[in-house]
Amino acid sequence: MSESLDISTLEGARREALIRLIITLADSKRILGIRYSDWALGAPSIETGVSTSSMTQDEWGHARLLYAMLKKLGIDPEPVEHDRPGEEFASIAALDHEQPDWAGLVALMTLADGAVSSVLRSFSTGTLELAQNRVPKMLAEEEFHESLGSAWYRRLAATDGEARQLLTSATEAMLPGLLAWVGADDDAARHMVDAGVIGPASERLTAFRDHVRDFVALVGVDIDSVEASAEWDEVRGRTPGRPDEEACQRARGDLNRALLVE
Amino acid sequence: MSTLSLPVVEHRRHAGLPPAVTSHMSGGRDQWSPPLKEAPADRVQGTWDLLQEVLDPEIPISLPELGLIYGVEFDDGIARIELTFTATACPCMEFIREDITDRLESEHWIDSIELIEVWSPPWTSERITPEGRAKLKKLGVSA
Repeated sequence: MSESLDISTLEGARREALIRLIITLADSKRILGIRYSDWALGAPSIETGVSTSSMTQDEWGHARLLYAMLKKLGIDPEPVEHDRPGEEFASIAALDHEQPDWAGLVALMTLADGAVSSVLRSFSTGTLELAQNRVPKMLAEEEFHESLGSAWYRRLAATDGEARQLLTSATEAMLPGLLAWVGADDDAARHMVDAGVIGPASERLTAFRDHVRDFVALVGVDIDSVEASAEWDEVRGRTPGRPDEEACQRARGDLNRALLVE
Repeated sequence: MSTLSLPVVEHRRHAGLPPAVTSHMSGGRDQWSPPLKEAPADRVQGTWDLLQEVLDPEIPISLPELGLIYGVEFDDGIARIELTFTATACPCMEFIREDITDRLESEHWIDSIELIEVWSPPWTSERITPEGRAKLKKLGVSA
C-alpha cells in the first residue's frame, strides 16, 4: 500500500484531475447499474434476471460511495448526482445506450465492468486513503459480477450460431473505447499518476488486457491487436458521446425527485 | 384502525418524521430494555451492551453479533459508533442507522450519537461472532 496523499493539499490541476477521476468512476457505476437493470426482467432465466437486479444494487452502492468522496474535496455530491445535464456525464462510452441483446449485456459484464474494476483496482492501491478504505469492498462485490459474466461469456462463445456472432460484435464494438478509457494518458490522468493516485497508463492497460485476453480470444479477438479509440474528451475523461437521455433521467432520479426525503 | 405502540424518541434527526413516530418497527425494538436509571460506570461497555439489543432488520441477531460494529468510543456524552454494512448497497442502511440512534438516544447519559461509516476492513461473513453463528444455525441459516 502506498503512503497516503493529503487530499487537503491538492490544488489546481491536480485537484481537478481527482474530481474528474472520481466522477468518471462514479458515473460509470451509476449508468452500469441502469444497464444491468434494463435486463432484470428480460434475461434468459429468472436466476439471471435476479442476478442483474443484484448487480444493479451493487453498482449503485459503489456509485454512492464514489460520489461521496467528493465531500473530502469540498464538493456537495448531491447536485452532481441529481442535477447535471446528460452532456456532463462522464460514464464510459460502452454504457451510452441500452444493450440490444443479452450477448451485448454479457460483453458489458465482462469487458466494461471489468474495465471499471481494473481502474478501481489501481485506485485502491494508490495514495488516496479514501480509495484504499472503500474500494476493496467494491472489488470484493465485483467478484460475483465477474463470475457471472465469465460463465456467460464462455457459454455464448462456445455456441456456433447467432449468439456467438452477437457476442463477437459487442466485444469488437466495446474494446477500443474501453482501452482508451483504461489507458487514459492525458494531462489529468498523468497528474493522478504523478500523485500516486492511480498507476501508470501502461500498467493499467496491461492489467486490463491480461484480464480479458482469454475471454475475447474465445470469439477470435486478439486483445493485443485492438487499438484504443483515438478520440478523447479531456474535460470528462472519456471518449466523445453521452448516455441517452432516458438513462440520465433515471440516474438523476428525475421522476422520483418529489419523493426524495434525505 | 389498529394502534401501534411506538417508543417515544425525543431527538429525531430525520427530516419529515414527527418526533414520536418511527418509520418502521425493526431492530428488535419490541424487546429493548427500558432506559437505564443509572449511567453505567464504563460507558463504552454500556454502549456496547445497548448495541447488543439492536437487531439487524433482516435477521434476528444483533449488530455486534453480525460483526457490523467496528468500534465504540465515548467522550463527553458523545457516543461514537464505527459501523459498516454487509454490502455497499445494503437496503437497510437507513433502518440500521435509525435503530442505533433510537436505542442510544433513549438513554439519559448519552447526549448525542455519531455514526461513522467505515468500509475497511470489508465486512465478510467471517466477522459474524460465534454467538451470532450459533443463533443463525438455530434459525436454519448457515454462515
